[in-house]
Amino acid sequence: MTIRLWTYFLKSAISNILNNRLIHLISMGTITISMLLLGAFMLLSMNLNNWVRQWGESLSMSVYLKDSIDAKAKKEVESAIRKIKGAEIKGYITKGQALMNLKAGLGEQAGLLEGLDDIALPESFEIIFKDRNGNSVDPKLIKSSLEKMNGVDEVQYSQQWIERVEGVMEMFRVVGFAIGGLLCMAVLLITVNTIKLAIYSRRDEIEIYKLMGATDWFVKIPFLIEGATQGLLSGMTAILILVLVYSLISLKTIDLFGLPIINIAFLSIHSCIFLLFLSLALGIVGGFISIGRFFRS
Amino acid sequence: MIQLFKICKSYGTNKALDDINLRMRKGEFVFITGPSGAGKTTILRIIFGTTRPTSGQVLIDGINLSRINRLNLDLLRRKIGFVFQDFKLLNNRTIFQNVALALEVTGERSAVIRKKTHQALKAVGLSGKEKAFPLELSGGEQQRVAIARAIINEPMLLIADEPTGNLDPDITKEIMVLFRSVNMRGTTLVIATHNRELLKDTGQRIIVLDKGRVIEERTG
Repeated sequence: MTIRLWTYFLKSAISNILNNRLIHLISMGTITISMLLLGAFMLLSMNLNNWVRQWGESLSMSVYLKDSIDAKAKKEVESAIRKIKGAEIKGYITKGQALMNLKAGLGEQAGLLEGLDDIALPESFEIIFKDRNGNSVDPKLIKSSLEKMNGVDEVQYSQQWIERVEGVMEMFRVVGFAIGGLLCMAVLLITVNTIKLAIYSRRDEIEIYKLMGATDWFVKIPFLIEGATQGLLSGMTAILILVLVYSLISLKTIDLFGLPIINIAFLSIHSCIFLLFLSLALGIVGGFISIGRFFRS
Repeated sequence: MIQLFKICKSYGTNKALDDINLRMRKGEFVFITGPSGAGKTTILRIIFGTTRPTSGQVLIDGINLSRINRLNLDLLRRKIGFVFQDFKLLNNRTIFQNVALALEVTGERSAVIRKKTHQALKAVGLSGKEKAFPLELSGGEQQRVAIARAIINEPMLLIADEPTGNLDPDITKEIMVLFRSVNMRGTTLVIATHNRELLKDTGQRIIVLDKGRVIEERTG
């Protein structure tokens, strides 16, 4: 098709949007709200993921040794720990240090331990995991393999509660997909109905076009451009509002329930393009559905 | 040019056309007449391809309409002009835009559209009214706009359904003069009318329909 025809289609679509601006404004407003909700959900989900990942990166582990362990077995345990990808031995806690730590942990209640100087606290290796990005650390697997070693009494790690959060996150993702799907359906319905209204308001014109020998595509393309414009403008507006809201939360850091301070990140450029593409695609598909129904009827 | 073979058209149990066999030559001027409900409009719609016959074959310039696809039907319509009793003009567009529409759908260049639109409006005596809107014109002028739109593509066939049905006798004469001039340039004309005055002393072929059948063919 020629540039001349496309110019004609564009002019026709723009003039129709301007002629029915109230309908289009209402529709674009509704699509913007839907895309905004979707974008906000993506933003929240992404930041929660980052948050959990950051905490996950601070994974620490205590490998408690049996009293009966000999020097050779201790060496073997140490060497096994050093072989674990990303693991670093933060320290070796002797019985004495363990008692001191316990007393420090009890604070004012430390008096409870008086007279129990021969308390048998186990010696342990304290491990931290660094640079977990890209490394899949499975604490359960490490725990079970270390516990099988000669001289190891028990392995405890700090992450059991994070696993529970990750479970909630997984549920959050599933709910997110469902809400996202519903929002997309809503956007589609809105576009279909707006274009349908635009088509019905111009049905006499379409009839005359067809009587003049206009091809189906000649009639359809301006409506598809209308749907695409509606989707694209709504997507852009939604992203703009998200940027503004994000800029308003200018501190960009929050301290949530005393947990480690985290940065609030904005959607990546890929996510923004995805949102724009999604709203554009929904606009075009909406246009297709409504014009298709009109032509079939 | 136009050949109808054993055309039947039914709407439910109601037979609108019953075994119509007609042949119209290139450049011919034909009137189709008969009382209301005789099937005049149905024949025109079948020739134009907006209604499909229940049975029978229609050939327009050698093209069988029952075997034509949608795209080719659109392309064929560009060679056929249609003038309606209710004009079918877009009231929110100027006279110029209404006439130019027939060329816009073909993807013609703007300069050509401008030139041909001015020529068509001049041919129907509406030069200087380009910027007016349909509702600012009289009925006769609106019908002239519709004729200008129908002839702008220099069609091989012009169909008119009761083109003077809403017009007074003086304007009817003017419109008929216009149709004759279009026919003189080689366009085949098929006009459906129940106006007997229009058929007097025309010297043209007249097909009379009644209850969906051809009951008479004569020269007026």
